Parts: sequence; C-alpha cells; structure tokens
Amino acid sequence: MKLREYEAKNVLKAAGIPVPTGVLIRSADDLVPHLDMLGNAFVLKAQVDVGGRGKAGGILMADKATGAKLAQELFGRSIKGLPVNEILAEQRLDIRHEYYLSITIDRSSRRPLILFTEAGGIEIEVTAQEHPELIRKVVANPLMRDLPPFLIRELIGTAPKEIGPVINKLYRIFIEKDALLAEINPLVATPTRIVAADAKIIVDDNALGRQGITVNRDLSEREREAEKHGFSYVELDGAIGVIGNGAGLTMATLDLIEHYGGKAANFLDVGGGAENERVMHAVRLVASVPAVKVIVVNLLGGITKCDEVAKGIIAAGIPQKVIVRLAGTNEAEGRRLLTEKGYEMLDTMDLVVKKAVEVTA
Amino acid sequence: MIYGDKKTGILVQGATGKQGEFHIGLMNAYARQVGGRGVVAGVTPGKAGQTVHDVPVYNTVKDAMKEHDIGASVIFVPAGAAADAIMEEASAGIETIVCITEHIPVQDTMKALAYAEMEGASVIGPNCPGFLSPGELKLGIMPSNLFLHGNVGVISRSGTLTYEVVDELTRAGIGQSTVVGIGGDPVIGQTFVDVLERFEHDSQTKAVVLIGEVGGNLEEEGAKATDLPIVSYIAGISAPPDKRMGHAGAIVEGGEGDARSKIARLKKRGVPVAARVSEIPEMVRNLFRNYC
Repeated sequence: MKLREYEAKNVLKAAGIPVPTGVLIRSADDLVPHLDMLGNAFVLKAQVDVGGRGKAGGILMADKATGAKLAQELFGRSIKGLPVNEILAEQRLDIRHEYYLSITIDRSSRRPLILFTEAGGIEIEVTAQEHPELIRKVVANPLMRDLPPFLIRELIGTAPKEIGPVINKLYRIFIEKDALLAEINPLVATPTRIVAADAKIIVDDNALGRQGITVNRDLSEREREAEKHGFSYVELDGAIGVIGNGAGLTMATLDLIEHYGGKAANFLDVGGGAENERVMHAVRLVASVPAVKVIVVNLLGGITKCDEVAKGIIAAGIPQKVIVRLAGTNEAEGRRLLTEKGYEMLDTMDLVVKKAVEVTA
Repeated sequence: MIYGDKKTGILVQGATGKQGEFHIGLMNAYARQVGGRGVVAGVTPGKAGQTVHDVPVYNTVKDAMKEHDIGASVIFVPAGAAADAIMEEASAGIETIVCITEHIPVQDTMKALAYAEMEGASVIGPNCPGFLSPGELKLGIMPSNLFLHGNVGVISRSGTLTYEVVDELTRAGIGQSTVVGIGGDPVIGQTFVDVLERFEHDSQTKAVVLIGEVGGNLEEEGAKATDLPIVSYIAGISAPPDKRMGHAGAIVEGGEGDARSKIARLKKRGVPVAARVSEIPEMVRNLFRNYC
C-alpha cells in the first residue's frame, strides 16, 4: 500500500531525515492559525492517492495573502477524479540542487537496490532513459542493519557528505517499515541543509498487519470484500466476469479474452481449496458488478473436486449466464450437476472464452 | 533430474498441519508408484514422537537429520514462520528447499534467501507449487496424474497455469523431464536463470517451456543465459499497470515488466512466444523438428 506524502514524511521525520516545515489541513480554516509559521511563500499539496498530481492541478503555490483562498479552491477540486480531503501546506524551500535517492527490491540479486543521482527532480525518468550512467547503483546485504560506509561513499561520489546519513536512515526505514519502495525525490540542498522535499513509501501488502495498518487503501470496497474471502480480486472495465484458480491461470484467461476481442470485467483468483462455499461467494461477488453480462469460470487442479465447484455455482443462484470449464477429480459428476440445471460446461479454456466473447459481442 | 531422484529422502516442515499432512500423503503415494523414498521425516516444534502417515515427526530439523538421510525438504508452515524454517533447514545442511508458503513479507524472504545462500542451499519459492520429475521425484503439491516422462523441461512462475501447460503437453504426447514452479513472489530463490543452468547440465532435457508473467525481467535474463531451445508464454498481456494480479510479483511497476515489452525482448532473442497456451505443444514440436 502506498503511503500518502504526509505519512511518508512523518516516517522520515521520526527517523531523523529533515523534511520541510509544514502542516496537514482538512479545511481552509485549519490553515489560518499556521500562516505565521508557514511564512511568506508556501506550497499547498493535495494528498490524493494518484500519481502525477502536480500536472493535474493538485499543487498550488501560495502566500500569506492568497493561502486561505487557494486552499478553499484546492479542496473544491477533484484530482484525476478523486476528491481532495487533505492538503499538506509546507514552507517553500530555497532550492540550490536536487538529488534523487531511492531504495527498492532488486529481483535479480534478491537484495535491496539503492539508487542515487545528482541529477534529481521531476525529470528523473528521462534521466534514467537518456543518461543511465548518471545514476549510481549499489546492492545491499539484507542481513545487515546498516549500510557499510564504503557503499555510501560509492553512492554519493562528489555530492555533499551530509547526504550519507540520509541514505543510511532511509535504508533503515526501508527494512523496518517493510517497504517495497522508499524514495526521496527530490532530495534538496538549500543554502543551509539537506531536506526531503517529496517522499514516497510503498508498504508490502503482506506486512500490513505487523506494520499496524488495518485497511489497505489501495483496494476498492469490493476488492476489500474479496480479500475477506481470501480472493485476489481486481476490477476492470469489461463485461465478462472471470473466476479462476491460481493467479497465472486467471491472468491467462483474461489474456485469452483480449486475444479473442472481448473485455474482462475483473480478475478473481479464488485461491487454493476451491470448495462449494468459496465458489458460491466468488460467483455472487462477480455477479454483483452491474456491467457483468456473462461469467467465465475456469478452474483446474488435480485436487479440485468438480462436483463441489458445480454445487457452489448452482448455490450462487444468479441470473447472469455462467459458462464453466472444470478439470479435476469428479469431472463427470460436476458436468452432470451443471447440465441438469441448464448451465453450460465446455472442455477447454479456449472454448469457454470464445463462447463468452460471442455472448458479449 | 535436476534437484534429486528416487533416492532423495524428503523432510516436511509443518508436517502436522492440514496442508502438510495432506501433501505428505500425496507425495508418498507418488514415491510408492515410482519406487522412491518419499517423505522420510516431518518437523513440527513440540510434536516430536507423533507420526503422520507413518512418517516420524521431530521437534527440529537437526534432530530429523540425525536419524535420516535427507536431501530435500518442503515447507508448509504459516507465513510468519516460513523465513525461519528456510534458515533452519539451510543451517542443518539440506541442499534443496521448496517453500510452498505464500504471503511471506518480502523483507523476510530477502533475509532468509541471503542466509540460505551463505549456507549453500538452493531455495525454490516461496509461494510456489514445488517441482516434479516424472517417474522420479515429486517435491511439493503438483498433481502427478497430469505428468508424462520425457525430454521437455518446464519452468513457471505460477501453479495452475503450469498444470494447464503440462496437461496440454501430455495430451499431445510430449513428456517432461522436470517441471519447476519457481513461485509468484517478486523475490524468489531459484530464478529462470538458475533452473535453466541446471537444465543445461541435464542430459535428459532437450528443450524448455518457459512460462512467465508480468513483472521484472527474469524471463529475458533466463533466455539470455542459455543455449537450450525455448518456447515461452507470458501471462498478463491484459494486466493494467500498478495493479497486483494475484501474485505479489505480477505487477507492472513504473512501466517495467509489462507483458508486451517482455514478449518483444524474448522474440528479439529468437525465442518463440505463444499467444495462447493451447499453441504451446505445436511450438514445442517445431523446436524438436528444427533443433533436436
């Protein structure tokens, strides 16, 4: 789950990384008592869970005279369709230089990967493409709590030495907060200090519990409902509902829908042990999406009992068309049960998908 | 055989749990069928002296190692205990460790894998179905009835999609040497590169089917590292960016690891990529016609 900017900055601050002086407000009135603290020039940053908010009008430059009015205006905006409920108001920085610092997971070495460049700022992606040689990379040993000083020296090169402790502190955050990504961009040099002007932290969904995060904000309400049943569920915008077992097989089913020219309404992986009740909940969940016209059930497993799955589909008792492909134990009995109730069962995933695409064409 | 054969003795951690018990039964049924040793010991802390399907249970891996000749293990313990289980086995000297457990925090996996590497152990997974060498050895949860002994190696990041491919191959009369599910997490022990290296040294394996997914670039790295003829399939061409498609590793981040560019890079290396799973058997036949 992605932390909001102010949450990420609170994490940085607690770890001793300097962040701009600022305050989180939930209404324009909240701003008034803080105007003296914010000084003459400050920034209003909408705290919405989308990328590219600057270009979408989510960041405004303000001063003492215009602050309250601009905050009012920003609260009234919607940024890429999302309402603005929180604004981070921060002192503007006297920026002399922008650096980029991030720690992520390197799949290839299976270790934390630390990136640093003296060419930071919003054009970092262009820099990475056109001048990869400007980005210094080191891989850390995850069994160590701190980065050895030589790795930090390799990273910072001729940049100010004060950046060294920031790198190590961010590394500790990365490990202790179960981050998949910890990024400071830009890391700013002002005439007097080094400051994290923006921060991004993504927490591993598998570690939310031990990080004390109870609600995964990255999920929609229906996605959260699915999570309670142990399903992996992603909403898409087509008309063909999809239920599969196993992430790979379910993805392949979606791909096949696209291949035959259809559009999937969702991704739903029922996970292991696809018995009666789980299947029933899965079918009902997908059927509750208004756009769904037909549901493809594609289940395969040496140990999945097809008669159990068939009972689950029948128990869901939903009006939309359900087309089934099942392979596993008791296949014949599953087919008998479904056929008896008028459901369609086909032999291969190509066949079920083609049929579903035909129905929705 | 790339990770063991009939003579490999297996240890199961989490032996007395529901999953552990169920799959010890299935692994030993397969061992009996092929004349292998199967699961010889189980481990669950505090349950020493019990048996599961006649397999003796010990408190620690070291206790089990004292009594049995063990070459490989399968882990079924819950996510919070799985990294520790990997480290315990590596430290006890087990060479091949299969970790079935899913939802392990990545930071734990990174530590456990770094530790296992130090101890010289190979870890398959986590969040994987294990592997099966038809006629020799099954380590994990793959449904053995779908498999056929033969010359094609299969490496995959998923479970049921692997079974789908194996089923297609078997129906087409194309047997498999070893089928490895390397796992759906972003950080895994044995990657495509490692398994392909083993297939290169395996005289039985003549061609490889590589089943990848969106996320990362390990499929391309694998294809780069081998001379074996390969057919590939990449799942997730319709996956939207920044959405996690079930597997924690199946996520397109910042434009990296999307299916189309992955497929393009594989094709550039001369690897044929199937658009549909059902095309794979015919493509493998073509490989045999052209290369083998």
